[in-house]
Amino acid sequence: MTNVTIRVQRFNPDVDQKPHLDEFQIELTQGKTILDALHEIKEEQDGSVTFRRSCRHAICGSCAMNVNGVNMLVCDAPLKDFVDRRGRVTIRPLPYLPIIKDLVVDRTSFWEQYQRVKPWLLPPDDVPEKEFRMSPDEVKALQDAEHCIMCGACYSACQVVAMSKKYIGPHALLKAFLRVLDPRDSAPGERLTDLDQGDGVFRCHTIFNCIDACPKHLNPTQAIETLRKLVMKRQAFEAARAQRQQSLDQPISVE
Amino acid sequence: MMRIFLLQRFSAIALLVFLTLHMIVLHYPPFHIDFDNVLERLENPVWKAIDIAFLFVVLVHALTGVYMVITDLDRLARYRGLITWISVAVGAAAFVYGTQTILAFQAP
Repeated sequence: MTNVTIRVQRFNPDVDQKPHLDEFQIELTQGKTILDALHEIKEEQDGSVTFRRSCRHAICGSCAMNVNGVNMLVCDAPLKDFVDRRGRVTIRPLPYLPIIKDLVVDRTSFWEQYQRVKPWLLPPDDVPEKEFRMSPDEVKALQDAEHCIMCGACYSACQVVAMSKKYIGPHALLKAFLRVLDPRDSAPGERLTDLDQGDGVFRCHTIFNCIDACPKHLNPTQAIETLRKLVMKRQAFEAARAQRQQSLDQPISVE
Repeated sequence: MMRIFLLQRFSAIALLVFLTLHMIVLHYPPFHIDFDNVLERLENPVWKAIDIAFLFVVLVHALTGVYMVITDLDRLARYRGLITWISVAVGAAAFVYGTQTILAFQAP
């Protein structure tokens, strides 16, 4: 059996001045995931190792962490695939977020920005008696954005978020994209106006980190580009509308 | 923010054209860097106009890029107005200085 060194970033705000790495030896067995390794460490070696996890099926988004410099869901990551040349795997918390303890980060800004885009459906007044019907084309246009599990991997990988927590972030913009293109939503125009703020869609630098980080292989960058185009079209429409209203406001000349 | 974003995108497209032209006439065969050739080319006012336009596009692209990165920082966000004016001043000064240099080229 091969042993692997798992390096876990530790930080206890009550004791530590800054984070440090602790090493643990783990047996590499068939089918073991990084989350399994963390469980093994917690149960058999150090019960104080702290991390979030829940479903173990890559659907709850709780166990997003940074492994060897890449954000991912550790429940979905086979341990053997991440062992480096020195036989080590380095696990750190999601970057650019305040650490609560060890691998647990404070996601307050993540959820605040999410709420900012009003991620819920704003239904029209004439809600159908049974269900809303959507055509396959309308569903396809959403580009699987509804598959987002809110794990925070994209948010934490974003360089703009690293510099400013006021930026809406790729996770919330993906949800905004979903709602703007949702044929059931009654306020796509208002949503677009809200996204045209200083910290909205135009703050994205198109670095593509969010795409690399997404464990569900979604494309927040493309969603942001689509939103930008829609915001610009809406602005052009509003400007043309205002001009038209102004011209209608003039007295009609009588010949 | 949208205006800055659009300025950067459009200047990037223009930069692609100018840079291609620049690389072809200055670096790639059969051309090569030669002061005499530069002097000869800049005798033509059209080339001077192209170089001045190139300078303008470079400045717009660079300064909008730096502006966007600086204003990303939370601590500096409150100085956005000041940063805008500094960017405009730096751009204007660099443009005037660069334009003077281009216009000064004359065959002996």
